[in-house]
Amino acid sequence: MNSQRIYLWDLPTRLFHWLLALSIVAAVITGQVGGNWIEWHAKLGLLIVGLLVFRVVWGFIGSTYARFGEFFPTPAKISTYLKGAWRRPGHNPLGALSVFGLLAVCALQVTSGLFANDDIAFNGPLLDLVGKAVSDRLTGFHHLLVNLLILLVALHLAAIVFYAHVRKDNLVKPMVVGWKETEGPAESAKGGGFVALLVALILAAAAVYGASGAWMPAPPPPAPAATTPSW
Amino acid sequence: MKSKLTLALVAATLAASAQAQVKVEDAIKWRQANYATMGWNMGRIKASLDGAYNKDEVIQAANVIQAIANSGMGKLYVPGSDKGSGFHETKVKPELFTEGAKVGKIAGDFNAAANDLAKVAATGDAAAVKAAFGKLGGTCKSCHDDFRNK
Repeated sequence: MNSQRIYLWDLPTRLFHWLLALSIVAAVITGQVGGNWIEWHAKLGLLIVGLLVFRVVWGFIGSTYARFGEFFPTPAKISTYLKGAWRRPGHNPLGALSVFGLLAVCALQVTSGLFANDDIAFNGPLLDLVGKAVSDRLTGFHHLLVNLLILLVALHLAAIVFYAHVRKDNLVKPMVVGWKETEGPAESAKGGGFVALLVALILAAAAVYGASGAWMPAPPPPAPAATTPSW
Repeated sequence: MKSKLTLALVAATLAASAQAQVKVEDAIKWRQANYATMGWNMGRIKASLDGAYNKDEVIQAANVIQAIANSGMGKLYVPGSDKGSGFHETKVKPELFTEGAKVGKIAGDFNAAANDLAKVAATGDAAAVKAAFGKLGGTCKSCHDDFRNK
């Protein structure tokens, strides 16, 4: 048994993961509660935009096991995994499907939210780009898609429980500390240095700015009231 | 001759009672007009809360919402108005017409919240208005969630 310890998940990936988890929980709750909490719901949406864009960039320039190319689930890989012959560290091919599924559903959910409205007191920051009719349709989509998001999160949690109890493989600990005990030859993650981090953060910040609608021209000021002589 | 007169009387009486009942198309139209007007005024209050607070603007807006909330809008949910078109196709769910107790609870909460908002608007206390505004919005949402098609 040549057991060893490798550095699996880099710090930015771990921070991304836990921030996204917290943001999603908070966004689902504030969305259901409504009232003035809708303001926090909107802020969380912008935070999630930033997190998702960060993760996508990190999937190209992050460290080894965070890269999409490393764990992209091809049919061949899935077949290997299902036969029980998968030995590599990082996301296994089914887990990778879950990663891409969650990222895609989160992206659709947060994007539709930017254009949504609640016919009460909330207008998505980009609503004016599409108009009320399209906004209403996207709002309906937003309300339906949250169910799929909750389902995927539940599946994600169920998989963690399955691995912990059936496979005796603790997936949570490496996502917290970064290190993982592996059997067989495996290398620690490399790459994803300071410059890559900076690039990913800048692109994420740019995305949040774009999503916030702060760049959109302010509505024209109302015409000054016609003045009449004081007598 | 006499039977003709009776017939005319009966017809006139029927017509009068039919008039007392709001026509479905009108009912849906007035409902939509009321919600749109409340939307305008919710927007005015929100603008005041997000930007420079304008006490008179908020009072005007809160009073409109209060008036509509207390106008007896339930009378516009006439039988048969679960489907149909006013300014546009109604989004109401048929459950609104069958789950009377639940709808009544939401409507009562909504009225109370609208009254409360108008009351605090008169004081000009922005923080209290914000709290009352959020509470009112919550009652809007509880009906949208359960009784309005997405």
